[in-house]
Amino acid sequence: MGSYVRPKSLGINSKPLEPDDNLRTSICCLCNGGCGIKVSLDHEGKVQAVFGDSDNPYNKGKICAKPMEIAQTLYGPYRLEYPMKKVNGKFERISWDEALELIAQKYNHYIKDNGTGSVVGITSKIGGSYSKLAHSIFSKLTGMANFGTGPICMESEFNVRKEIFGNGSATAPLSDVVRSKILLIVGNNCAQTKAGQFHWILEAKRQGTKIVVIDTRFTETAQAADRFIQIRPGTDGALGMALLKFVIDNNLYDQTFVAELTNGFEQLAQAVESITLERAAGITGVPENVIKELAEDLAVCKPGMLFEGRGIVCVNNAGASLRAFEDLMVILGNVGKPGSGIISHINNYGNAKGLIPKNHVVKPDRKRSAVDLYQAMEEGDIKMVFIAGNPCVNWPDSKRMTKAIQGLDFVISHTLFLDDSAILADVVLPATHWLEEAGVQASVHRVLQWKDKAAATYAEARSGGDLFRQLAEHMGLESSYFPDSPAAAWELERTHNKSIEGITIERMQRTPGGVHFPCPENGPELVRLYESGVFPTHSGKVELARENALAIDFIDMYDSPGNQGISREEFPYILSTNKVASHYHTVCQYSNWAVEMEKPYVEMHPQTASELGVIDGDQVRLKTSTGAMVLPAKITLSVPRGYFSTQPYFGVHSPYGKTPANSLFPVAVDPVGGNFPNKNIMCAAKAEGGQGQ
Amino acid sequence: MSQYAMLVDVSRCIGCKSCTVACMQENGLQSGDSWLRVRPRELLTDHLVRYYIPQSCRHCSDPICVAVCPIGAIKCGEDGLVIHDIEKCIGCQVCVTACLHGGMKIMNNGKVGKCSFCSHLLQRGKEPACVTVCPVDARVFGEREVLIREAGLRMTDLISKGTDVYIKGTENDLTKVLYLLLTLMAHTVADSKESVTSSDFHNPI
Ligand code: SF4
Ligand code: SF4
Ligand code: SF4
Ligand code: SF4
Repeated sequence: MGSYVRPKSLGINSKPLEPDDNLRTSICCLCNGGCGIKVSLDHEGKVQAVFGDSDNPYNKGKICAKPMEIAQTLYGPYRLEYPMKKVNGKFERISWDEALELIAQKYNHYIKDNGTGSVVGITSKIGGSYSKLAHSIFSKLTGMANFGTGPICMESEFNVRKEIFGNGSATAPLSDVVRSKILLIVGNNCAQTKAGQFHWILEAKRQGTKIVVIDTRFTETAQAADRFIQIRPGTDGALGMALLKFVIDNNLYDQTFVAELTNGFEQLAQAVESITLERAAGITGVPENVIKELAEDLAVCKPGMLFEGRGIVCVNNAGASLRAFEDLMVILGNVGKPGSGIISHINNYGNAKGLIPKNHVVKPDRKRSAVDLYQAMEEGDIKMVFIAGNPCVNWPDSKRMTKAIQGLDFVISHTLFLDDSAILADVVLPATHWLEEAGVQASVHRVLQWKDKAAATYAEARSGGDLFRQLAEHMGLESSYFPDSPAAAWELERTHNKSIEGITIERMQRTPGGVHFPCPENGPELVRLYESGVFPTHSGKVELARENALAIDFIDMYDSPGNQGISREEFPYILSTNKVASHYHTVCQYSNWAVEMEKPYVEMHPQTASELGVIDGDQVRLKTSTGAMVLPAKITLSVPRGYFSTQPYFGVHSPYGKTPANSLFPVAVDPVGGNFPNKNIMCAAKAEGGQGQ
Repeated sequence: MSQYAMLVDVSRCIGCKSCTVACMQENGLQSGDSWLRVRPRELLTDHLVRYYIPQSCRHCSDPICVAVCPIGAIKCGEDGLVIHDIEKCIGCQVCVTACLHGGMKIMNNGKVGKCSFCSHLLQRGKEPACVTVCPVDARVFGEREVLIREAGLRMTDLISKGTDVYIKGTENDLTKVLYLLLTLMAHTVADSKESVTSSDFHNPI
């Protein structure tokens, strides 16, 4: 080795990392990619660096930027250290015991006076498997109704797939893609959103899998594909239906599979009858010959796989697109065989049963949809909310959500940061980060992996697992139902859920990359679902059509909730948020590096920019029926004309110091699946004047 | 060991910036001080072509930065690495202007900084941080000869699929960081620029 000069004194911490031979192994819990990671700790047990785990067979040492940004989020200025209570508008430090006692009193009071339905949880960030189980036990004991990640992430995908297969889970692991002949990626920029696992798709491509990407934007995934089909926003349903019609009309489907294992084929054929190639081309902007060619490719290249993304899930007409593409895979016979099926980050391994005697289970006395939640808070039907997450930023119409939460009697936030939602709370409780909690993590490969606690617990932070048990004690509930550690929680869950009975912690630790589920006691793991040809629907077959409704009903996004009735003259453009590689959840955005890698911007086509009279970096004011925000223009040919794309989230109490992007999205759901849209919403735009940063 | 190199394959890069963040983490760089920046490039032919160019010091065998530095803060090592001494640096930034590859970056404190090739990791027998994380093997570390062969294989494969690429850094301008670049982009867009404006596109092949 020749001369070696170590660069010095660039700033306070500009030294290269010291070598660390004592790295902790963990699993990244950010995007359900399930990448193995190695964590370097300082002498206090704080995370100082994160690397990829080269021994994990699924990511082979590769990771995206997000886990590396963690050290900044964990020890940054926004992290909450101890419980606090609001006194005259100001937070004051209190002890955990005081906090729990106060919450318990309030909780018991509201249940008694206003019924169980007067308390709800908004819980998209509840923590790992330990916290999730404790939360579900607590909810069963108290009758707390919860709004989790579903409506803001995957409700439509889950519900539609459940209707079709009887289970909302992915049917196949991502790793199967190397065995497929064609991979259809629809509205999914996995090159950015699951960057650490994207090598599977490139490896498949090298081995001859044809990668076809359907998207409105020319994404990084499209860039890496064999074929990119650009489609008008919100029209995927029509494309899927035209593919179905062509495949059916030309007898290109798997007739044995359809005859033996499905119901509703006739209704499906009828529902797509009117969507000819010509009509679909008119709606989608995809030329007839391209649709035809894709249908023929899908018929010839078998087995084939489908990987849908938020582009067709978090939209106001998600139901039709999801149903069309999944039905398409079914009639092609692409289910239950190696290299076929549907890839998804939805991992539903079922719930533990019989943890609490029936007579101790309390049911919420009111039922509300995600849309109803707003009104119930506004009208005082809900008195108290338990927040684990950041609904003022990640739920739609942030202004309305903020106001609704402000109007409540009592708000608790169990949180990592003093974020836009926590700042409104009456009591804030510091939460542990997933690196500070042991537990099981699922992945896009349909495996469960165990991770030990890697980092020291920060300040007075407690996990949801501990919090719910202790709160139950303070409330005078039976606390013996609760596990007292992550390992005990998994044992309890495993022994009360047949589908994961064989997945012991020991087995997960012993199996590189984890164990596939379902997996009965001492039984083999199921790499993919439905190989037996039996489906958990009522009929035991795949349901190609919806019960008591049209099999698939394509409704234009302009006539769908959130856009319906809005003037196209006043709001001539379309706005979407799209995820990037550097951040995923709001939590990731509390890192300087994340903010630096993806500064706020709004992407627009050069022609749109010239219509508005702006150049790159100019400030643009975007306005929808619910809100407005100003963002610097980023001019790119990768989005179509008349379409704006920005990143999700931001937040006033975040390093961005910016209005949440969700302020611009209305409280409306896909009528079929129930997802809130964070894409394809009508907007207006004008130059704000003044140069951007 | 002196014949090692790095290959940056622009055809594979998905712009995830994992390398940038890994570099900052490994080298303790603060926000704004990154040595490696990933820039998008777009070009409209009969269809849209868009690629990402990761820009960092290429460790030239005849580095112009060394030649222009008035106080000798940049040195060539025997192992072929070009190392900048931040202590000596007076922040005149002439090297930034002189470097044709966008390798030298201006730091928050007004001095300059650049890729050290993670020489501290090489000394421990490890590969550079940016290579380790890159999820699509757009950055590869290894023996120079092996990498040139690998680049050749990738080039043949890409050309057979209709993507014209060429290898940079092996001929008249020798560098330790080799690039597999797109022919289409090279003639139109300066790959060292931080950002491109419409005027950069007015130079079709
Ligand atoms: S791809 Fe997902 S799981 Fe893998 S490192 Fe990135 S965020 Fe974590
Ligand atoms: S890590 Fe690899 S793919 Fe990602 S930006 Fe860097 S070179 Fe490109
Ligand atoms: S790339 Fe630029 S900074 Fe690096 S050695 Fe060459 S001239 Fe110097
Ligand atoms: S070799 Fe090391 S210093 Fe150079 S760009 Fe990569 S990570 Fe940064």
